[in-house]
Amino acid sequence: MFHLSQMDQIFLKSLADVVRTSRTTSQYDKLTFTTQTIADIKNELQSRQESVRYQALLKLFFLAMEGNNIRWAEFQIINLMGSGDFQLKLGAQLAAHLVIDNQSQGLIMVTNVFIKEFKSSHIECSSTLSCLGTIANKDLSDSLLSHVLKLTTNTKPLIRKKAIAVLSKIFTINPLNIPGNLEMVIQQLQKETNISVLACGISLFCSIMKVAPKLYPLFLSIVYDQISKQKSNWLLIKLVRISNKLISLEPRFQGKLIEHYTRLLNQTNSKSLQYELIYSIMRHFKNHSQLYESAGDILKQFLNHQDPNLRCLGLECLTHISTSVGLMEFQEQILESFKKSDYFSKLQILQLFKDFTNQNNFQTVIEFFLKYSDMESNDKIIESLIFIITKDKFINVDDPEKLLLVYIPIIAQKIDSIDNAIRFKELLFELLTRVPGLKVYSDQLCNQILQTYATQSDSLQGPTLNIVKRHTQLKYSLNHREIIFKSLIMIVGESVKLLKLEALTNIIKFLEQLNILNCYESSLSDIDSLLFKIYIQIIKSDPENQIIPQMEQLIKNIYTKLHNISIVKISFFYESLIQIKSRDQLQQLYNLFEEDLPPINLEAQKLIKPPEGLDINKSFQIDISEIEKIKNTNSDYIEQKQLIQQQQQIEQNQGEQQDQNSEIQIKVENEEELKPLNNKIDQNANKIFIINRDEELPPGINQDDINKFKEEE
Amino acid sequence: MINFILMVNKQGQTRLAQYFQFLSVKERMTLEGELIRKCLSRSETQCSFLEHRGYKIIYRRYASLYFIIGMDLEEENEMAYLEFIHNLVETLDKYFENVCELDIMFNIEKAHYILEEMVMNGQIVETNKTQVLAPIHVLDKAKDE
Repeated sequence: MFHLSQMDQIFLKSLADVVRTSRTTSQYDKLTFTTQTIADIKNELQSRQESVRYQALLKLFFLAMEGNNIRWAEFQIINLMGSGDFQLKLGAQLAAHLVIDNQSQGLIMVTNVFIKEFKSSHIECSSTLSCLGTIANKDLSDSLLSHVLKLTTNTKPLIRKKAIAVLSKIFTINPLNIPGNLEMVIQQLQKETNISVLACGISLFCSIMKVAPKLYPLFLSIVYDQISKQKSNWLLIKLVRISNKLISLEPRFQGKLIEHYTRLLNQTNSKSLQYELIYSIMRHFKNHSQLYESAGDILKQFLNHQDPNLRCLGLECLTHISTSVGLMEFQEQILESFKKSDYFSKLQILQLFKDFTNQNNFQTVIEFFLKYSDMESNDKIIESLIFIITKDKFINVDDPEKLLLVYIPIIAQKIDSIDNAIRFKELLFELLTRVPGLKVYSDQLCNQILQTYATQSDSLQGPTLNIVKRHTQLKYSLNHREIIFKSLIMIVGESVKLLKLEALTNIIKFLEQLNILNCYESSLSDIDSLLFKIYIQIIKSDPENQIIPQMEQLIKNIYTKLHNISIVKISFFYESLIQIKSRDQLQQLYNLFEEDLPPINLEAQKLIKPPEGLDINKSFQIDISEIEKIKNTNSDYIEQKQLIQQQQQIEQNQGEQQDQNSEIQIKVENEEELKPLNNKIDQNANKIFIINRDEELPPGINQDDINKFKEEE
Repeated sequence: MINFILMVNKQGQTRLAQYFQFLSVKERMTLEGELIRKCLSRSETQCSFLEHRGYKIIYRRYASLYFIIGMDLEEENEMAYLEFIHNLVETLDKYFENVCELDIMFNIEKAHYILEEMVMNGQIVETNKTQVLAPIHVLDKAKDE
């Protein structure tokens, strides 16, 4: 054993010395200092003198806090746990959690040390129990279970409290230890009067409920007994928490708690206890209106409180109100609280509304958040609003026309990120696909949104999305405004056939005035195709050639503004069309544009020569007799297959007929029921935009809408 | 259940760390560094609760020291743990008389002992200051004798 001389002891560094040196050492010398200190500690731990070992232990603690690995000291610390000096023993027990884990080999040595300590004074026993609670694993807990159970009957409340606390760990590690032992503990707790011991007992029950919830009847009576007479807030919080869990297992328990919850809610001033009660009442006591209302009043106070912690907890509590009707009661307070909340609380509120907005409060919610968005939370607000609008195929939207013409332009103005621009684009496409009739407003929408972009053309810089088109080797960047611009151009292009002549001319005039066309380099092909579609439509709609020359001039003006070389190449075709067009050529173009492309264009095939050496009249199969053989064997199979198919068809028809008959019967019954209601409905109602929420969306444009608009024109 | 209790200063130096689930040294250092950065970035108008790496974090600042508790996500009553932090500080203040960071640094074993008397196995077992400090007063008396 290493023995320090008197001289060495003078130079022995205490914890205070090490702390002072560490604070004054520079970052570069830290490693040297740490290495030196660890070397000193290793020597000192082997000393015979307890004071030296104690100082080494304290320094080890400090190094662990500094972030150094001290697991090499596992054996020494376990050794010190068996020391005769209590101070040294205590230090080792406190340091145990830093070096020992569940897989440590040294835990085997600890068993006898602990058994010996359990028989010592109450202070030593309690510190040993604390250490056991920290480092216990399965083997250790099984070995020491009987000793710990004995300690639960100790005369000192300190020992009883800690023994029960250790039991909760033992039972969690190995639930097989619970049967038989739990009943004994419960019997002792029924006679217990010390609040700390009872609190540990309740914690024990909480631990058991995690691993063996079916044992709840054993401690239900104790919990109820204590909740009816306890006054300590800490214990009451634990009791309310465990009651919350018990109610979900035993709903009849709920009725017994009403009286006590009401009393506690009215008497207590402790915010933490109030919060625990409100949380429980909001989840389980919705049917008890008086109690629910009292809890609701306190919740409203939380939402309006100056303390941000209470506001945050109030919002947290609201997430457990699972219905939107329940949330509507607190809507006003939540929205008020949004105005003075920090970013984190705002996110909580947005999440609440994402989950619980419905048709009734949709407009209120949208208008509020658009009004009160700030720079910090704007991105999240827009993301949440888009989510609320598109949720469940626009289930919250009852007026798509107002959404498109009023709210969507405002949302477009507030978008300042690419992710939101992409979401906005998807929202627009989905809305116009599900409500095809809205496409007649596409020109208004385009004008409204692009006008604001034109006035803010200086602020087109921003984060960009780099896109590389593989087949053209073209690399360009899109910012959020350009994404929206492209989507609007595409929508107008798709809606050209639905728009009136006046609307089409307005679009071209608008684009001609727009001074930001040059900024949208990547959208030039979209602008090009839009102009082409509009031009074709105008030619179709203006047979008398009254406005075509004016439109052609405007289109030329637009092209002169677009100086990109690739566009000049593409637009050459369109410009030549305008300059050297004839009616016959245009008519052929209409036909090409109007009809569906056939899969094989016979005219085109004539121009393509077959490869040399290929005789198209010759058969690919050489052995014709083989072909005949296969044909004959297959023909029987084919005949049989046809018979089977015919039979299946007959059966199917019979089934369909039966279904139809039953449907007709139900329909007749329903009509009779609805007759008195139908008489009240106005048969000549104005056109209402209906959202198509079917699974398969109609491809392209709805023919019915086109026909109707043609008639109107 | 409480998973850890930390006392970290503004410079990110840990003065006291009690973990109720074993983590390696590297994991502890990473966690402590991230937590203190998050706490420092929050203003006084923001609430004292946040989520980090699957833990619910409750923190409170006293002068230059941040007291941080990490709990399971399923635990609900953040307010109770916030009040527990205050209780812990009051207990330390009662023992050390006007406690400061240096008291904890130079009496690290006593700070740990007080914490162990209050929290065992991740559960709060004692909140009465007199009861918590009784064993440590007995020890101090025995040492003086």
